[in-house]
Amino acid sequence: MNAVKAALRNPPLLTFVLVALVWLVAGLTLRGFGAYGHLRYLLELSAVIGIVAAGQTLVILMGGIDLSVGAVITVTAILLPLISPDFDPTGGIGIVLTLAIASGIGFINGAGAAYLKVPPIIMTLAMATFLQGMLVIVAGGSAVSVTNATVIWLGQARPFGIPAGVLLWIAVSIVMLLIIHRMPAGARFLALGANPLAARLSGVSVTRNTLLLFTLSGFFAGLAGILILGMNRQGYVGIGDPYLLTSIAAVVLGGTSILGGRGTYAGTIPGAILLVTTTALITVVNASPGWRSIMFGALILGLLLISGREARR
Amino acid sequence: MSVPANLYLAVQRRRNRGLTGLYLVVAAFLIVYAFLFPGLLSVNGFSKFTQNWFPLALVTMAQALMLLNGGISLAIGPMVSLGAVIAAVTMGGPFGVVGGLLAVAAVGLFIGALTGGIVAYLRLPAIIVTLAGSFIITGVALILLPRPGGFIPDWFSDLLAGHTPVAFGLLVLLLIGWKLYIATPLGLGIYAAGDNPVGAFRSGIPVERVKVVAFAISGLLAALAGLFVAAQTGSGDPVIGTPFTLNSIAGTVLGGVAFLGGKGTMRGAICGSLLLSVMINVMFFLGFPPVAQYVAQGLIIVGAVAIPQLTSQWRAKP
Amino acid sequence: MTNSMPLLEARRVFKGFFGNPVLKGVDIALEPGRVHALLGENGAGKSTLINLLSGALQPDEGDVVVDGHPVSRFSPAAAREAGIAVVQQELSLAAELSIAENIGLGASPRRFGLIDYGKLATSVAEVCERVGLTEPLDMPVGDLPLGRRQMVEIAKALYRKPRVLILDEPTSSLSAHEAGILADLIRKLRDEGIALLYISHRLNEVQALCSHVTILKDGVVTADQPLAGVDNEGLVRLMVGRDAGDLFPPRLEGATGAELINLKKFSAGLARDIDFHASAGEIVGIGGLVGQGQEDFLLGLYGAIPASAETSEISGDRGPFKSVETANAAGLAYIPADRKHEGLVLPHSIASNLLLPSLGRLTKHGLRDRAAERDLVADLARRLTIRGDVDRAVQALSGGNQQKVALAKWLPLEPSVLLLNDPTRGVDIETKREIYLMLQSFAREGKLVILLSSDTPELVHLCDRVAVFREGRVVATLAQSEISEEAIVGAAMGVSTKGAAA
Repeated sequence: MNAVKAALRNPPLLTFVLVALVWLVAGLTLRGFGAYGHLRYLLELSAVIGIVAAGQTLVILMGGIDLSVGAVITVTAILLPLISPDFDPTGGIGIVLTLAIASGIGFINGAGAAYLKVPPIIMTLAMATFLQGMLVIVAGGSAVSVTNATVIWLGQARPFGIPAGVLLWIAVSIVMLLIIHRMPAGARFLALGANPLAARLSGVSVTRNTLLLFTLSGFFAGLAGILILGMNRQGYVGIGDPYLLTSIAAVVLGGTSILGGRGTYAGTIPGAILLVTTTALITVVNASPGWRSIMFGALILGLLLISGREARR
Repeated sequence: MSVPANLYLAVQRRRNRGLTGLYLVVAAFLIVYAFLFPGLLSVNGFSKFTQNWFPLALVTMAQALMLLNGGISLAIGPMVSLGAVIAAVTMGGPFGVVGGLLAVAAVGLFIGALTGGIVAYLRLPAIIVTLAGSFIITGVALILLPRPGGFIPDWFSDLLAGHTPVAFGLLVLLLIGWKLYIATPLGLGIYAAGDNPVGAFRSGIPVERVKVVAFAISGLLAALAGLFVAAQTGSGDPVIGTPFTLNSIAGTVLGGVAFLGGKGTMRGAICGSLLLSVMINVMFFLGFPPVAQYVAQGLIIVGAVAIPQLTSQWRAKP
Repeated sequence: MTNSMPLLEARRVFKGFFGNPVLKGVDIALEPGRVHALLGENGAGKSTLINLLSGALQPDEGDVVVDGHPVSRFSPAAAREAGIAVVQQELSLAAELSIAENIGLGASPRRFGLIDYGKLATSVAEVCERVGLTEPLDMPVGDLPLGRRQMVEIAKALYRKPRVLILDEPTSSLSAHEAGILADLIRKLRDEGIALLYISHRLNEVQALCSHVTILKDGVVTADQPLAGVDNEGLVRLMVGRDAGDLFPPRLEGATGAELINLKKFSAGLARDIDFHASAGEIVGIGGLVGQGQEDFLLGLYGAIPASAETSEISGDRGPFKSVETANAAGLAYIPADRKHEGLVLPHSIASNLLLPSLGRLTKHGLRDRAAERDLVADLARRLTIRGDVDRAVQALSGGNQQKVALAKWLPLEPSVLLLNDPTRGVDIETKREIYLMLQSFAREGKLVILLSSDTPELVHLCDRVAVFREGRVVATLAQSEISEEAIVGAAMGVSTKGAAA
């Protein structure tokens, strides 16, 4: 009984249990759902969302929302093929350059929020719009194919039968859990999210942490962009759009408060899997994009009602 | 003691304070545009120009209401889409154009009031509530009309978006309506409640009701903008409104309405939307690709928010 | 004029917040045609009493009585209907709206549902003339200086044609000329038969205007009498005269060490041109009425708000600090007054609150050293007698224990200068004593303790020196032999008493 109560009070665990239940029920009732290939496919999709949601988790923990992750994904997916130099057969230079650009975009978001005091939602929304326009101007409307060897390996290879993307996600998860739970920065993010004034008076620098946070968010979005590019082998305008909402949803599904100050990436991991699984099931039952959007909005609103009520208590 | 001969006019004149610069910039841009495109001065050119401006002016008014009240709406664009979709779906129905008009207005008011109620009575942040609302509204629009289509009578399109400046006339009517509303106790309460909610409450202003009504009107304006866009394009499109969320914010902050609430004027916001509209037209005329306006908008928003911030920081330095 | 029936009364009202009694059976009766003064030190319960009388709060026990009838479920709206108007210290104005619109807000004349600007203009002009507002009525309130806004606030109250007018520190931001106009107005209103309640810390004004006084001390009425025959010193005695008991530990005589703070013409926020110096081993008190720049002085020292100074030396550094981190690095620590909003991250655990300032120090290879953190938390909890599970959310603790956490979190940094902002507000007696002992032991260890307090006895019994603030400046620095409650309160209110040297 106590174990059940503890689980109910532990959102990450609860989400994990939920995922296990859904997989069990779906595996028993739906043909093909439980096949290894299908589950592996679900995990591959979850990996992408999980990596985007890594940065989003950090931003939401500190009480902001990053609406530019979709645009950053698109930027990396389109830029990488264009800026990977031909003389580098491994493709490593292109990846490093692209990640630097993605982190730089995040840094600018952070600078706008920290120095110009533009609310993060507005800053990242403006950034997303700006990037959308720039991309069409720079890259034109056509899709670009990737030849970068490392990127293709990342998107297609399966060492030991495990997709490389999932391995990358495991690595990201370890880094994220270390940042949030084992590094001073994580505790500072949480304190800033729960009470920025008290955190500042306790010697936590708002400016430095805001910059760090958005830079990390840009970095992780860029990483996800590279993975998506490898899986798709093509980058085009709009490729990152679906990941904005799903990244927010994965974070809040994992029990992180949308108002900041409470949560962990340990919840976002099952959150991403749950989201992909439900999307897959919705596709099975033929829910239209409209219904999906409604369900998503209702989810945010519902979680806001719950966490908002808790925050007021 | 000086009793002004007409207090109302005197107050109105005062509201132009600090907007002279904006008026001059708008005038300069209009002159440049008229110089580039002399057709602007014909009835037809004027009609087309104001038709492009009209939906932008409506959504900017909708957003300005939110900001004046101390909130912000991220659901303006989806609301425009929903308005367009409802118009396109209902106007071919048994109740025709009038039925469609009423349906659009009712849905706009209802969704706005509902959002406002959640924000005001449950005391939740408007920015996230409207973010959630934007997905729900988009979903509804997609279900009603999964792909562009529907029916708008040709005569209706011609009336609103034809060769006569009907849109401009409607805008003038709306402005008169706003003037009347802001002269009611509830309308004036928007300023008071946005600037000093505790003080407004102590003065006997029903702060929550003010907020709900402001959200309802905002929803109505956005939905009507959708109706107009549907008339312009002759059909409904479930995602046509998307750019309007950011457009509305850009126009409002260009017009000098502050993010913190209670500061700024509706006339400033409308000038901001006019400025944005002329800028887009000029850019188009100078041969920039249409997407360049996205770039410009991103820069404009950050600039319009950041520049007052920076200047106040510089001024604060001893 | 007197002996008429009171328009508004409070009868044996009790009110407490979170178990702390603030009013303990208070009576007050406002009669028509009389200016009634309400006096008391900070925290005596004046604001709470005003809030009860204006319906903003409900009494726990006792009645609010209007025209001899006890009212149940009193609310701001009901108070307005009963003709009770309050001029609060925080203004209720909207900066963008004009003077006329602000005055009429919520009570404007209407025609066809619209505000009747014509009628509004004439009726507003009338009240403006009474309070001496000569600015054009269409002027936005945001363009007015603070003192004029205060007059608009008063005009706004008058516009509602009150029978009872409560004025809470109405002259705090007024010029002498404006205060004179207000005094004439108050006399006129009194003669018209309005009941007035006048709260002020300016005793000369009280003497000039009021005929009756109620004095509150620690939530109890200590005097309810005609004002005639009581001089200023007598009023001050009535406000502070209390037995300090053995709440305070005996004073320690210690040698002072090196000078840690030396400021010339230091300004930050409301604090202006402060000359200040203090040395290691001292406890220096900061006194004065609430909101005279004391808090901004501490925040400026701490780098939390922009500060400037002609010359400054803080803890060996040139200062003023540009950020909290540099102040921390120089050995400063700040314990805010509002611990729920400024001092603690309430939903987080006791342990994480205790660790927050020292997070960067307890690391091994860039990762947090869990064992060292656990030891530190255990050590702090033991030293401050915080009992129980340290993983509980800090909001579950009592006020006193919360304050101990807010203090304890700085100890690992071994600060050399401690800035405390009202550390015992809303804290139980026992914890108060613990905090006092702790402050003394800090001083003995050679730290400098700067104690801002709204509790005057605290300053008297703990401090080696007290700087008294008034209108943003230090108006008196009292040496140990000169410190007394009378001297502090007197200097704070601009009454010169013996021992107060400017």
